Amino acid sequence: MSPVVQLLAKRLSISVIVLIGVSMLIFAIARIIPGDPARIALGPNATAEQVVQLRDKLHLDDSIIVQYANFVSDFARGDLGISLYTNRPVTTDIAQFLPATLELVFVAGLFMIGFGIPLGILSARHRGKAADNVVRVLSLLGVSAPSFVWAVILMLLFAFFLPIFPIAGQISDTLTVPPRMTGFLLFDCLLAGDLRAFADAAHHIVLPAFALSLSGIGQAARLTRANMIETYDKPYIEMARSYGFPEQRIARRYAFRPSLIPSLTIIGLDFAAMLGNAFLVEAVYAWPGLSRYGVQVILRKDLNAIVGTVLVISATFLVVNIIVDLLIAFINPRIRYAERSRP
Amino acid sequence: MSDPILSLRDLKLGFKTYEGLVEVLHGISLRIGRGEKVALVGESGSGKSVTARIILGLLQELKAARISGAIHFDGADLEKLSRRERQALRGTRMSMIFQDPTSSLNPVFPIHVQFHEVLRRMDRNLTQKQGMQRAISLLTDVSIPEPERVLQAYAFQLSGGMNQRVMIAMALANEPSLLIADEPGTALDVTVQAQTLHLMRDLVVRKGTSVLFISHNLGVVREFADRVYVIYKGRIVEHGPTDTLFSKPLHPYTKALMAAVPRITGGGIPDIAENSEAFLDPMIDHEVEVPA
Repeated sequence: MSPVVQLLAKRLSISVIVLIGVSMLIFAIARIIPGDPARIALGPNATAEQVVQLRDKLHLDDSIIVQYANFVSDFARGDLGISLYTNRPVTTDIAQFLPATLELVFVAGLFMIGFGIPLGILSARHRGKAADNVVRVLSLLGVSAPSFVWAVILMLLFAFFLPIFPIAGQISDTLTVPPRMTGFLLFDCLLAGDLRAFADAAHHIVLPAFALSLSGIGQAARLTRANMIETYDKPYIEMARSYGFPEQRIARRYAFRPSLIPSLTIIGLDFAAMLGNAFLVEAVYAWPGLSRYGVQVILRKDLNAIVGTVLVISATFLVVNIIVDLLIAFINPRIRYAERSRP
Repeated sequence: MSDPILSLRDLKLGFKTYEGLVEVLHGISLRIGRGEKVALVGESGSGKSVTARIILGLLQELKAARISGAIHFDGADLEKLSRRERQALRGTRMSMIFQDPTSSLNPVFPIHVQFHEVLRRMDRNLTQKQGMQRAISLLTDVSIPEPERVLQAYAFQLSGGMNQRVMIAMALANEPSLLIADEPGTALDVTVQAQTLHLMRDLVVRKGTSVLFISHNLGVVREFADRVYVIYKGRIVEHGPTDTLFSKPLHPYTKALMAAVPRITGGGIPDIAENSEAFLDPMIDHEVEVPA
């Protein structure tokens, strides 16, 4: 078996175990927090009988172990239950709201990599000079304020005082939204061949994605800078210089690749953090993602929907981490070969 | 005497600090003839490695470094060359071997990629295949068994001795006129160090490469070098042919340095003064006082 396949198999099996753990935990927590889901769903005017009926229908009076067993057997059939908030299957709800969130996080991730890493390299190469200082101050600012604060600040600056970007939403009301195919709006616009809608949607996503990515950009820039500076002190860089390789090439090839390894790990974690932060940024920008749904179902103690939402977010997190692990194995031969040499 | 491949005359180096200029080299003069193997010996901090880096033109890139004096390489005045021209010399007409071979090879590229990069310094249009063939023959020269396998490997998969051979092969790949060996193999086992040094000596003798051999190890120097410069605190204190210098050291510092080598026959760790006014005595040049 090739070492990469081996690595993938190992990470996947660990992910399954993690998901099982998460499902147990969130299943229990959702049931432990006070409040009767049936009562909340039916409202204050429902009779005690109606509440008992609903509790019965939802099997809420079974032991938690029986409930979990039911959940697992349903889950195996791809059924996450009915949401008490929307009265629709939780899977349908998630399929509707998740793509917008993923799209936002994905664009934010692109910003994080696309701005953070180059800024870090720039900073390291001009260490101690003006460019370095500017990058360092900016990245510190990015890291130190939470993304919902940036969401509000950016909205005020670039949508209100300087109306360069739309203030909220995913696409202008005046446009006809292309038919929903993948659920990812940018993608759907392209598939429909509607470039005007695509440009408009892209225009809408810039501010929320940027607000979401700022702390990641700062983090990535700071890390890349620190790693590059450390790498520059390594003997192999001096050796590359002693062979007269051009400075540009040394930076791009010899210093960058070893420096990227620790940065990538953190970028993977930041990616996951953005999934959580997206809830607040979505709220600020009225983004039709999973956040509104997530907040509503938590407040209403909508058990099935809570478990479903948390599981989907955990699964996304795990998938991102597996991708990062594979990337690191690709860049760092030591990991590739360490996996192989193990019995 | 034919014109030397390298000559340093009154080379001074200082570093600009917040407390003013700190002088590190106080006027070093040194000359290496064509095909000659010259050693620069001294304790750590004496200025050996900075001298090597000035010759390569690496220290000139540092803003804080102040360099004066004349450096002639193969007839050309290095200080008159532009950055680009100095860079063009490195890896082609002069190259360097470092202390620790394993950490001097890049950890994320296999050996053949790094070899190719070095060979491309001479021939921009070198194909992968040609590079591979050249590399295989060069690795065979340094007695590496299964060179194809070694080329596919990463430095961390090879032993220190193997990496040292790779480094030697790389450094000599473009047939430079001058090889600078900065404490080569100090990070290796004594036996492996001896093997690789033998190999290096045979190769440079065969190819007629001039060598500046930097070391603090007197035993190794005696085996390797034709002439020796002893450096102390940024000054050359004694200089002469290896045999003369070792059989008749005259300068107090050289004597102390030789006394400092622990003998295999016992006698404990030698007790020498850490500092002595006498170490700063004027330079003794065996070639002037004891003409050959």
